[in-house]
Amino acid sequence: MFSKKHLSPQLRQPSTTKAMMSDVMVALMPTLGMAVFFFGIRVLALCAVSVFSCVTFEFVYRVLTGQPVSIQDRSACVTGLLLALSLPASTPYWVVVMGAAFAIIVVKQFYGGLGRNFMNPALAGRMLAGTMPILMTTWPEPMQRLSLTAVDAVSAPTPMAYLHEGAMPPQDLDLMFLGNRGGCMGEVSAFMLLLGLGYLVLRRVISFRVPGGYLGTVALFALLTVPDGVSAPEWAAYQLMGGGLIMGAVFFATDPTTSPVTPRGQVMYGIGCGLLTVLLRTSSPYPEGVGWAILTMNCMVWLLDRLGLPRQFGVGNFAATRAILRRTRANLAEIKFVMPGITIKRPVLKEGQAPGEAYLDQLRSAARTLGPLAAVLAATCVVIYGVHRYTDLDTARAEVRAQQEMLAQAMPQASVGVETPYRAAGALSITGGYDGEGRLLGYCVEVQSQGFAGPITMMVGVDLNGAVTGVAVTSHSEQDRVGTEAMTPEALARYVGRSGTIRSSGPNSVDTVSGATATSKAITAGVNRALNIVANLDTEGEVNYEDTQ
Amino acid sequence: MTHSFFGGVFPATRKGITRRKPIARLAKASKEIIIPLVMCADGPATPLVSPGDAVTVGQPIARRGETGASAHATVSGRVSAIEDRPHPWGGLSPAIVIQNDDRNEPYDGHMDPLDPRQLTLRQAAERVEAAGVVGMGGGAFPTQEKLLRSAGRVDTLIVNAAECEPYVTADYRLLLERSEHILRGAQALARCLSCQRVVVVTEGDKLSAVEAVERRLRRRGGGRVQILTVRTRYPLGAEKQIIQTVTGREVPPGGSPLDVRCAVFNVATVYAIHDALFQGRPLTYRVVTVTGGAVTRPRNMWVPIGTPLRHLLEACGGLREETDRILIGGPMMGTPVTSLEAPVTKDTNSMVCLASWEHKPDRPAGVCIRCGKCVASCPMHLAPTLIRRALEDQDLSKLARYHLEDCNACGCCSFICPAQIPLVETVAQASLLLKKGGE
Repeated sequence: MFSKKHLSPQLRQPSTTKAMMSDVMVALMPTLGMAVFFFGIRVLALCAVSVFSCVTFEFVYRVLTGQPVSIQDRSACVTGLLLALSLPASTPYWVVVMGAAFAIIVVKQFYGGLGRNFMNPALAGRMLAGTMPILMTTWPEPMQRLSLTAVDAVSAPTPMAYLHEGAMPPQDLDLMFLGNRGGCMGEVSAFMLLLGLGYLVLRRVISFRVPGGYLGTVALFALLTVPDGVSAPEWAAYQLMGGGLIMGAVFFATDPTTSPVTPRGQVMYGIGCGLLTVLLRTSSPYPEGVGWAILTMNCMVWLLDRLGLPRQFGVGNFAATRAILRRTRANLAEIKFVMPGITIKRPVLKEGQAPGEAYLDQLRSAARTLGPLAAVLAATCVVIYGVHRYTDLDTARAEVRAQQEMLAQAMPQASVGVETPYRAAGALSITGGYDGEGRLLGYCVEVQSQGFAGPITMMVGVDLNGAVTGVAVTSHSEQDRVGTEAMTPEALARYVGRSGTIRSSGPNSVDTVSGATATSKAITAGVNRALNIVANLDTEGEVNYEDTQ
Repeated sequence: MTHSFFGGVFPATRKGITRRKPIARLAKASKEIIIPLVMCADGPATPLVSPGDAVTVGQPIARRGETGASAHATVSGRVSAIEDRPHPWGGLSPAIVIQNDDRNEPYDGHMDPLDPRQLTLRQAAERVEAAGVVGMGGGAFPTQEKLLRSAGRVDTLIVNAAECEPYVTADYRLLLERSEHILRGAQALARCLSCQRVVVVTEGDKLSAVEAVERRLRRRGGGRVQILTVRTRYPLGAEKQIIQTVTGREVPPGGSPLDVRCAVFNVATVYAIHDALFQGRPLTYRVVTVTGGAVTRPRNMWVPIGTPLRHLLEACGGLREETDRILIGGPMMGTPVTSLEAPVTKDTNSMVCLASWEHKPDRPAGVCIRCGKCVASCPMHLAPTLIRRALEDQDLSKLARYHLEDCNACGCCSFICPAQIPLVETVAQASLLLKKGGE
C-alpha cells in the first residue's frame, strides 16, 4: 500500500501539453470559420491537406528513425492548421504539402521534435512557401469564394501595400476589423484573432506578455511615425490590423518552444519582434515583415533567456546589477589577445638530403595545407564569374550607356537625365535634363512620327525657353543611304536653336534633305510635336502616376 | 498593503471539507502512545524515564540535552518500552511507548502560570523550553532558541496563520476558536522580543477567523497587533514569502528572517507558547486535520501527541475507499506516510488521505515544451526548466549560475508543469550534482 514512492506535490493543475495544443486549435476555430466565410470551402480543403500532411510526415519520420511516435501530442495538428491559415487561399495544394514537409521534417524533427526546435515550424514552412513568387503577389479578394480545384483568383491589393507607401488603405476600419480585405486566410479577421487571444489568455495557455509587448511596440511606433494629413489613431489601427501582425503576435510569436521561458525575457522578446516588424515594414522593399521578425527573434531566444533570468531572491536590484556587471567583467577578463606567432623555422636537415631539399619539403607541406583553401577560393571565383556571366549585366549596362548617349546628343548641356512622371499625349517619355548643380535645363521628349518606311522614334531636347537643343534618332526603319541622309549629325544639327513651329519652307524653316523628303518631313513633324508638348507641359497640376498605357 | 511575492500557484484549496468542523476531542484515547525522542529538527532528546515507570499526564519524560526538545506524557499509564518505532518523517527512530491506563491522572508538579506584566525574555525562554514547544508549522525548530536569537533584533513579529496548503484547516480552526489566547500569546511574544509590530497573516479563504480576530482586536484595542488578510495564493505560508508579503523585504540568500528584522511564528506555536506561559501547560496536545476524499468523516481533532495515525484514522470512521496516498502535512509539501503505526508529532498539522480522483494521475513525465510556467510561478525566482536542461547536459558551469540552493521545495513548478515533469526532484538532483561536482 505504501511501498510506492510518490513525489510531492500530490496535486497538479489539470492542464496537459495535449490540452494546451487543443486549446490553440480551439482558439483558431473562429479565424478558420471567418476564413471559410470569406474565401470559400477551399480553405477547409487546404487546412485538411496541411494537417494531414504534417501528421503524416511526423509519423513517418518518427517511425523511420525508430523514435516513439509522437503524433498523439497534437502539436503536428497545430502546426498544420497554423501553416495553412498563414497562406493565401489561392495556394496550390502542393505548396502546402511542401511547406508541411519543411516545417515538420527539417525545422521540427531534425532538431529533436517537440520542444527542441529553435524556430517556429509553421512559420518557417510558411516563409518557405512564401518564396514562391506567385504567393507573394496574388491575394484573393474576400467574398470571392474559391472552388476546390480551379483557382482563378482576382488579386486584391492588401492594406499593407498602401500602408507601405504611406497612404491609407481604401478599406473602412470596421470592415477591416472584421476581415474584409485581401490577405492570408487566417490573418484577415482581426476580430476573430482577438477572440482567440482572449481564449488563450483566459485558459492560461499563453500569457499576455508576448502579444502585449509585440502589439504595444508596433502601436507605439505607428503613433510616432504618422504621415502628414492622416489621423494618428486611425493610422495606428491600420498598422495593427494590417498584414499578419495580430496573427503573428497571437499564434506565432507565442509558440512556447520558440519563445523565452523567463517572464522578463518574454516581454523583451515581444518588444524585439515589434521593433523588427516596424523596421522591416518601413525600411524594406516588402510591405510586410512579421514573419521574418518572428523568425529572427526565434534565433535570439537563447540570449533573451539568459538576459531575462529572474533576479536572485533576496538580492536587491542594485546588488543584482552589480553582480551582472562583475560577471561581465570577469568574462571580459577571460578574453586574452594572443599574438599570432609567425615564425619561420629553419628546417632540420635530414640525413641524405641535399641542402635545398628540406625547404622543398616545407613548401610541399604548406601547399598541402593551403591547397584546399586555394581550391575553395578558385571554386568561388568560378561561381562568381559564372553568375556574372549568365545574369547578363552587360545588357543592362549597355542600355544605360545608350540612354546617356542619347541624352548627350539631344541635350549636350545636360549631364544628368531623370525621367519625369509627366505624361502627355504623343510623348513616349519625358526626361528632365539637369546640369551638374542639379538645375533643370530642359526636357528631352521621346516622340514617334511616321517616316517613309515606318515609325521613326527620336529624342528631342527642348530647353526652358522652348528652343531645340538637339535631336537624336533612337530607332527607325528607313532605307540606308536614302532615308538616313536626313539623320546625319549635320542634318539634325539644323534644328538646334529653333523654336515655335518649324516649316519645310518659308520663315523658320528647315529645308528637306533632297532624296529623303519623307524622312525629313517626319523628323520635322516629330520636332514640332516635341516643341508643342513642352510648350503645353503642365508641371504645376496634379501628377498622374498611373501609366495610361 | 502593497507588497506581494512573485509567482505562486492557485491549487483548489478544498478546505470546505473540514472548514465547518469544530475542533473535536478524541472520544477514546489510544491504548498505546508512542512519543518519539526526535520531535525537533536538531536531533533526539534525552529520555527521563525507563521502561516500567508509571507516568501521569503532563509529566516530563524526556528533556533537551545537547539537542532535542523536552517531551511530556500525554496520557497516564506505564512506560512499556523505549524502542525503535516508525516515525512520520520516515524510517524508524527511538520512541517512548506508554500503555494508556485511561485514568488521565494529572501530573502534580506542574508549572505555575506566569504574570504577563512581569514577563522577562529569560523567563519566557526557560518556560518555553520546559514546555517542549517547537515550531508547529512544519519547521520543528526549538522555539526558545528562536526567541533568544530574535530578542531585540526584530521589528516585526509575524504570526503565520496563512495555512496555504490545500485541505488543511487546523490553523484556521485554532485561530477561529482560540483567537483570544493567540492574541495574548502574540502580545507577550512581542513584549519579550521588544518589537513594535505584530501582524497576524491569514488568507482570504479564512474570513470567519479574520472576523473573530478583528472583533477581539476592536473590543480591547489591538495595540501593536494587527491582522492582515491576503489573497489566497500558494505558498504564502512559506517563511520567506510571508515576510516579503508583510514587509516587502527579501531574506538574503542563505540568510535567516533575522537578517531582515523579522520573526515568524506559526499560529499553533503561539497558542502553545500562550498555554505554556500563562496556563503552565506543556505541549501535549495539538490540532490535527484529518481530511481527504478517502476519509469517511473528515474533521479537525484535538489529539494527544503520540497517538498512532491508525487510531486517529479510525476515530474519523476509517477509510471509505482504497487509497495509496496518505500524507502527513498538506498535499503540496507533505510526505507520504510509510506506516500508519507512526504517531502524531508536534509538527503534524494534518493527515490527508487522497482518493484516487483527487491526486495527480500516475503518468510518466512528458516532453518539456518550454512554456515557461515553472519560471513564472517560482516564488524563489528560479528557472526550473533551464535547470532541467542544464542537468540533462550535465553542464556544471551553467548550474552554478542558477542559485539552486535557494529552492525551498514548495512544489509550484511540479504543480504547474503541463508535461508533469517532477521539477522539484530535478532541482534537488541538480543541487546534488553541483555539490558533488564542486568537490
